[in-house]
Amino acid sequence: MPNIERRDFLKLVGAGSVGVGAGFYLRESIKHPMEHLIPHVVAPEDFSTGIDTWYNTVCSMCAAGCGISVRTREGRVKKIEGNPSHPVSQGRLCALGQAGPQVLYNPDRLTGPLMQTGERGSGAFAQITWDEGLSKVADRLDLLRAAERGNRVCLLSQGVRGHLAQLFERFVDQLGSERLLHYDFDHPHTLYAANQRFFGEQRLPYYDLKNTRYLLSFGADYLGSWISPVHHSLGFGHSRQGRPDVRGRFVQIEPRMSLSGAAADEWIAARPGTEGLLALAVAHHILSKGYYQGADRADWIAVLAGYTTTEVAAQTGVPAETIVRLADAFAQTQPSLAIGGGSAGNHSNGVDTLVAVNALNYLVGNLGKAGGLVFNPEPAGPTTHPHQASYRTMLEFVEDARRGNIEVLIVNGTNPVFTLPSAAGFAEALAEIPLIVSLSSFLDETTALADVILPSHTYLESWGDDFPEPGVGFPVGAVSQPVASPLYDTRATGDIILGLAQRLDMNDVLPWSSMEDCIKDGWRQIHERGGGDVRTESFESFWRAVLTAGVWGEETHRESTFTLDKSVIAGIGVQAPEFSGASDDYPFILHPYLSTTLHDGRAANLPWLQELPDPMTSVVYGSWVEMNPVTAKGLGLTEGDLVDIESPHGRIRAPVYVYPAIMPDVIAMPIGQGHAEYGRYARNRGVNPIEILSPQMEPQTGSLASSATRVKITATGRRAELVKTGGNSRDLGRNIVQTTGAGQHSANLNSIPITVIPS
Amino acid sequence: MSLLDRFTDGWRKYRKPGYYEEFDYHWAMTIDLDKCTGCEACVTACQAENNLPIVGEKAFAEGREMKWIRIERYWEGEYPDVKLRFIPMLCQQCDSAPCETVCPVSATYHNQDGLNTQIYNRCIGTRSCAVYCPYEVRYFNWNDHQWDAPLEQQLNPDVTVREKGVMEKCTFCIQRIRQAKDHAKDDGRRRVRDGEVQPACVQTCPANALVFGDRKDPNSQVSRSMNDPRAYRVLEELNTDPSVVYLKKVDAKG
Amino acid sequence: MNVSIVPGLRALRPAALVGGTLFLGLLVGYWANATWYPGTSPEQPIEFSHRIHAGENEIPCMYCHTQARRSISAGVPSVSKCVGCHKEIATERPQIRKLMSYWQNEEPIPWIKVHDLPDFVHFTHKRHVSAYARAAGIECQTCHGPVETMDRIRVTSRAIDGSFQLDTPWEMGLCLNCHRQHQVEHGTDCWTCHK
Repeated sequence: MPNIERRDFLKLVGAGSVGVGAGFYLRESIKHPMEHLIPHVVAPEDFSTGIDTWYNTVCSMCAAGCGISVRTREGRVKKIEGNPSHPVSQGRLCALGQAGPQVLYNPDRLTGPLMQTGERGSGAFAQITWDEGLSKVADRLDLLRAAERGNRVCLLSQGVRGHLAQLFERFVDQLGSERLLHYDFDHPHTLYAANQRFFGEQRLPYYDLKNTRYLLSFGADYLGSWISPVHHSLGFGHSRQGRPDVRGRFVQIEPRMSLSGAAADEWIAARPGTEGLLALAVAHHILSKGYYQGADRADWIAVLAGYTTTEVAAQTGVPAETIVRLADAFAQTQPSLAIGGGSAGNHSNGVDTLVAVNALNYLVGNLGKAGGLVFNPEPAGPTTHPHQASYRTMLEFVEDARRGNIEVLIVNGTNPVFTLPSAAGFAEALAEIPLIVSLSSFLDETTALADVILPSHTYLESWGDDFPEPGVGFPVGAVSQPVASPLYDTRATGDIILGLAQRLDMNDVLPWSSMEDCIKDGWRQIHERGGGDVRTESFESFWRAVLTAGVWGEETHRESTFTLDKSVIAGIGVQAPEFSGASDDYPFILHPYLSTTLHDGRAANLPWLQELPDPMTSVVYGSWVEMNPVTAKGLGLTEGDLVDIESPHGRIRAPVYVYPAIMPDVIAMPIGQGHAEYGRYARNRGVNPIEILSPQMEPQTGSLASSATRVKITATGRRAELVKTGGNSRDLGRNIVQTTGAGQHSANLNSIPITVIPS
Repeated sequence: MSLLDRFTDGWRKYRKPGYYEEFDYHWAMTIDLDKCTGCEACVTACQAENNLPIVGEKAFAEGREMKWIRIERYWEGEYPDVKLRFIPMLCQQCDSAPCETVCPVSATYHNQDGLNTQIYNRCIGTRSCAVYCPYEVRYFNWNDHQWDAPLEQQLNPDVTVREKGVMEKCTFCIQRIRQAKDHAKDDGRRRVRDGEVQPACVQTCPANALVFGDRKDPNSQVSRSMNDPRAYRVLEELNTDPSVVYLKKVDAKG
Repeated sequence: MNVSIVPGLRALRPAALVGGTLFLGLLVGYWANATWYPGTSPEQPIEFSHRIHAGENEIPCMYCHTQARRSISAGVPSVSKCVGCHKEIATERPQIRKLMSYWQNEEPIPWIKVHDLPDFVHFTHKRHVSAYARAAGIECQTCHGPVETMDRIRVTSRAIDGSFQLDTPWEMGLCLNCHRQHQVEHGTDCWTCHK
């Protein structure tokens, strides 16, 4: 044994110890991490570990009101599907509806009541309790009510239906205010007005796409964003390949090809705002060919005399032969259907245009029959329409606020700072309002300016109900129930209003302790009224049945005996559209459209939808401006060139996308991006074309003529990469998408029964 | 028998015509291009069902997006006679899949249900399969993905969250097929009923353009749909024998 | 010319000695951790004994693990289930008092998971405790080991010969052997168990 020096010994001991320690931790680090098995304290009744529980409720991502079935596991929402028993969605759902779980589990949700501590817009908020928040608002409301200045309170909400709408009405009424406004950018005011004038009712009819053989769509992107895309898609699929004997044909008339334009058999570009002229030319041809033989034929001939095909052809840019061909096919293929909306209704002549479209349905006898336009019966519950605010109403509100006539503004869900043109001056007007309260679940642009934020539950956590408008030809109601327990210290919108009502002693008119009670009370009346497919003696069993099915319906269709008033015929006629700005200074017409993926911007905070390629261009995560290839070439622009888009009311900057299916003097931009707030996924991405829209209105309804803005394009010389999916946009002989002639239609039997009466 | 021999023997067995006849199911899908509107509901449904990550703008720009089903778009003609054609593209579950021949570790192979499988914990990430796939429907995890809390609460417990270095692709929602078989066993049935199982994309399709089922059952919706005269397979000349059949778009003028 | 590397090596000897000791230490540390802190039988928040419940009192497994026959997971009994018996039985024992304090505070008991499967494995208890599986002689113990003899649950695996191997985690062989032995339909297809 050699002598070991003290130093060496210490070295060896040191090395050994280090080794032991390292070895110990090596083993420790590769061990399986400790996991816990957390049991319940008391086992819940409605779910078991490892087994799915499904709840039926209602989608609130857009105004269509699809019924949904939500898959939950261990109390968490996993997936949303369409509710097969709901007549609107029939088991299907769109991308927006599918993204619902990301609303619930969004990392940017507001987690509790807040109070602005700094200047408005500074983003300095302090947490407060619900009691503090509600009292602060209630105290102010109480003072105003006592001073009989209740009309200085405004409740500005997104469109809501069902008993929440009723709750809002009563609450505002009790305050002594008349200012209950529902504002949605995409609300089809002109369509309602046109139906009011032609059919005499403030309700939309049911457009029976599924049974139609020939559809003429004037600007309505019925598959992408118009009214009820899921239901229209079902009808489209069935009409196309769901019937053994016939294949429905679809024609789309619009200046820029939309999703529906791509799906159509024929896409026809008419000059923006001339869709109504085109409809009248079709009507003119129908009359001159003698397809219409009604008693009022002479009146029609008289009123349509000026709309000959040749004359209209010059105005619309659509060849006369095409108009004749469309008119012949439309009149001879029965049942046919004409629908109008979208950009066609968003012009200075919007209402007249849509009246002209209604006239087409009248002239070929499409009213009140399968495959045409079916009138809806009285809805089973409250709907919102009377309070829908037009652009003009919003301007009046802005004016009132400026004059200091608004002292409290309660905002629920809607985001006018984003969805009103900057020319409206909404954000500036807010500065004049002493107290702004927001009930939003997210910190959107409007909520960021609020003094008090009382955040709502998401729709997956709240009680509610819905009566789809437009209906599906028979009365339908659906109850929306919480499918997950609240994630944060938020409350259902109805409960917030009821909380205020309790503090303001409104118990005699708003006697409910919670929204659930309110809904149940409302449905008790529906039960007592009888009818419907759920027939039970006791309300409790009726309620359980409705909750389980998620939907309730009555199989009562309306008898349609429609007689047209003569004065309506005399009023038919479409003026040429008016655009703001001179065409010399502003050579292009801006065509803003609702994004298929982000809608009016409300879905921009959902990462799934931010990363979902736009169907037409495959672009993600940004804005772009679409331009005809010839136009782009003329301006020396290629894809990715940054350009300034300037209207008389503002300027925005976006990269060019060369779009093969748009008129040369039109440029198009998707709405949805350009948020300054609204969470990490939405903020500072792209631009918002609504910002630069001219404040021009359709005179009869006062709705914004959002497709009537002229712009000019200036190259900036800079470039920005458009993020989109790779690949070539042309087939290049690979024969990937194959087509076949029109003759080949076979009895493809993969159709589903399309009219679902809920059971 | 050497490992290689065993491998090639097994391979030949799978390739013998009629090999799949003896098994219970042969899952297939038809996509009616005359109904497809390109709305992309299927894409989001798939993303939600199969725990597909959000890759972010930067990775997307680098072509690293993850979409097991995507909508391809092809323009035809020039303004004003221009058309845009959509086609949903997903793993074609080829019966003679090129990707299967190339995997050095057999992480992808053909199973008895006619499915082209991808076993994540076996995959070593050579990405050869993605090169061999003519449909470009295999997606590689270039990163470990993050879900900003609490988004991870939505993750489907029946589907693995894949980690960096692993190839992935459409599974025809194997977790749903597995569950349907389980229900069939619970009910004492031998077979899954037609329509009992639908992948997420098929279930959500608003236009009802997608049909899924067992093509061994001659009366199933999918079998009948596959017999449609409009039926064709994409890149048929490559003889990959896909289980996804497309129905031609009808080209008619208004 | 004759060059030797020995003097060079000799100079390295002290370094080698230190390195060797370091390595030896590494092994010792690793072994010590694996032996004394294997993590295969963690200490639970309550010293619940399967020996007393399942062994001496012969309570069937599925009396408490009720989910096993209908779910993928066997389930851990809720606190209320424990209290159901123990508000009468052995109420004075310290561990039961601990249980009651959880109950009174309405807190769940943070049990530590012992048997664990990787996230990419699909295993359903339902299929493995079905009538068919029981007829084939598959019992809970087939995979979980002689639980009824354990005071504290310990990771146990089963070898091909049927003997139990303590502290050995489950691996794919365990599943495959059994699937082969019982000729499970498509029992060796990867997608039967991997997800």
